[in-house]
Amino acid sequence: MSNRIIQLQQLIKNANHLHINSEWLAYAGVIEYYPEELVITVKAGTKISAIQAKLAKHNQVLPFFIKATDISIGAAYAKGAQDLSDCVLGVKIIDGTGEYLNFGGQVIKNVAGYDVARLLVGSKGKLAVITQISFKVMPKAYIGKIKKPYSSKSDNPILREIEQKLKQVFDPRSIFK
Amino acid sequence: MEVIQQLLTQLPKSIVLTGKENTRPFECDGLSVYRQNPLAVVLPENIAQIKQVLKICKDNNTSVVTRGAGTGLAGGAMPLENSVVLGLSKLNQVKSIDAENRLAVIEPGVRNIAISEAVAQYGLYYAPDPSSQIACTIGGNVAENSGGVHCLKYGLTVHNVEAIKMLTIDGDELVLSRHDDGLGLLALMNGSEGLLGIIIEITVKLTPTPAFARVVMAGFDSIRDCANAVADIIKAGIIPAGLEMMDSFAIEAAEGFAKVGYPLDAKALLLCELDGTQMQVQAELDSVLKVLSGASTLKVSESEEERLNFWKGRKSAFPAVGRLSPDYYCMDGTIPRRHLADMLEKINELSKKYQLRVANVFHAGDGNLHPLILYDANIGGELEKVEKFGTEILKLSVDMGGTITGEHGVGVEKLNAMCHQFNAKELAIFHKIKAVFDPKSLLNPGKAVPELHRCAELGAMHVHHGKLPHPELERF
Repeated sequence: MSNRIIQLQQLIKNANHLHINSEWLAYAGVIEYYPEELVITVKAGTKISAIQAKLAKHNQVLPFFIKATDISIGAAYAKGAQDLSDCVLGVKIIDGTGEYLNFGGQVIKNVAGYDVARLLVGSKGKLAVITQISFKVMPKAYIGKIKKPYSSKSDNPILREIEQKLKQVFDPRSIFK
Repeated sequence: MEVIQQLLTQLPKSIVLTGKENTRPFECDGLSVYRQNPLAVVLPENIAQIKQVLKICKDNNTSVVTRGAGTGLAGGAMPLENSVVLGLSKLNQVKSIDAENRLAVIEPGVRNIAISEAVAQYGLYYAPDPSSQIACTIGGNVAENSGGVHCLKYGLTVHNVEAIKMLTIDGDELVLSRHDDGLGLLALMNGSEGLLGIIIEITVKLTPTPAFARVVMAGFDSIRDCANAVADIIKAGIIPAGLEMMDSFAIEAAEGFAKVGYPLDAKALLLCELDGTQMQVQAELDSVLKVLSGASTLKVSESEEERLNFWKGRKSAFPAVGRLSPDYYCMDGTIPRRHLADMLEKINELSKKYQLRVANVFHAGDGNLHPLILYDANIGGELEKVEKFGTEILKLSVDMGGTITGEHGVGVEKLNAMCHQFNAKELAIFHKIKAVFDPKSLLNPGKAVPELHRCAELGAMHVHHGKLPHPELERF
């Protein structure tokens, strides 16, 4: 495990309030990229432009709508969009108690355990610190113009309650604001 | 029992089955080595009846096992002791088709193939195609996040579901859509194996039927050459619609059964399907043939009949193997493609060690392996031997960076293997997620996620953060 992950775990264990962003995370770079696997694994603080540059060398792309390339991939994940979620294969996270956890992996088909890697897409940094994400990528030739996804807020109070309880699962001390 | 009485008095008698003789057809799913009679089976005809069943079960603290067609291969729909089976096969209507937006709203008991049949008139189909597609239901597909042959290009169930309507254990209706702002609850429900809620309506995405499809069949003198060819096709920038691999034993079995002209002297066979417009298919075909120039035999389907014929062998591989052995056990690990050849060699070594034959059929394009271990359940101790063998394969899958199940689910079958893939902290998160939806643990309890003490008793050796078990062993 990298030193930065151990530091982050300590920071989280000792914190009462945290606001997560990529500067605070200070954890960036491509971890693994196998073009023939169509999979790239990156640290969450990596700029989208840096990932795109790496993929471009093999004529591959992140096959989801990208609004801005100068933000981190973790920020895009936290904001959430369905087409991004479709490409997520796995995440490593540090939860609100400082535990470093792994969900999903680097393979396209994986139905072991609940799909936490996709559950946390759109969690806006309020459930856990996402440190690492694996994505399915595609050859550029297969991806046409990608439409901007849209989303809307459901006003179902039962859903809001479920989301609140799920936050408690990952962040029982309620430190992520 | 009070719960049976209440079901019989509060619901039409025609939809409630009780007594061993009547419930026996539901005692197992596609994994028939595990069987259990339920207290009762209810086959509701509408949502109100489902709500009534949930209420009765909740009041009586009785667990509920939701079931589609019962074709699952991991025991996910196997009844639990003293449980009520909620079979949704009668909810089998396609409610609406929106051809323009390529969507269809369907009830959970609609069979997978029936969706494609219903929308064929619009030049559309439903892409995920598990091999049980003539029987399995869409509700079960969502519960298991089912795959199939065409996942690499067209995605799994989770990618092809636009929205679902579900019931919580309290009977509340929730609608989860791809377009919801907030957490990925729709993705969470996909593959949740009936532990979080009851799926009562699904909006599926439809795909335009490709104008052309051709299959390349390539035989290889070695497994490694075949596995390398899989990587080379992807490296060449091609995404085949299907990319399937079989070893020599599977080739022999399939050819003996289906007589489709597979090369019996090949050590491995690759089937590569290309689809799209005629121009796309021709361009891809040119590239693929170049990549496969080292194959010992190479054939391209020249007609639709021949294309279907090439597939017929692959699709009949399971029954073909079933003809050669009284029983077989189907595994479902997934590994990164680059380890395919190493994995096959390991499986062959294990086959010798356990003295059990193995036929290998793979969804090679997405690294999903289905080794079929042949055995005879009537020979004492043979099943236990198979389970040990299978566990070794699953552990190898995890150690290679893959997973214990690519598309069949955990059910009751892979609970022990889960202890190898996840540590106690991760499993605890899963249990807490279930408790959010089902605090009294009445929905398919005990399946999919092992209890922590079970893993402890197994002495499961999940070691985290790079410290692998058995460091002396070669890693790939």
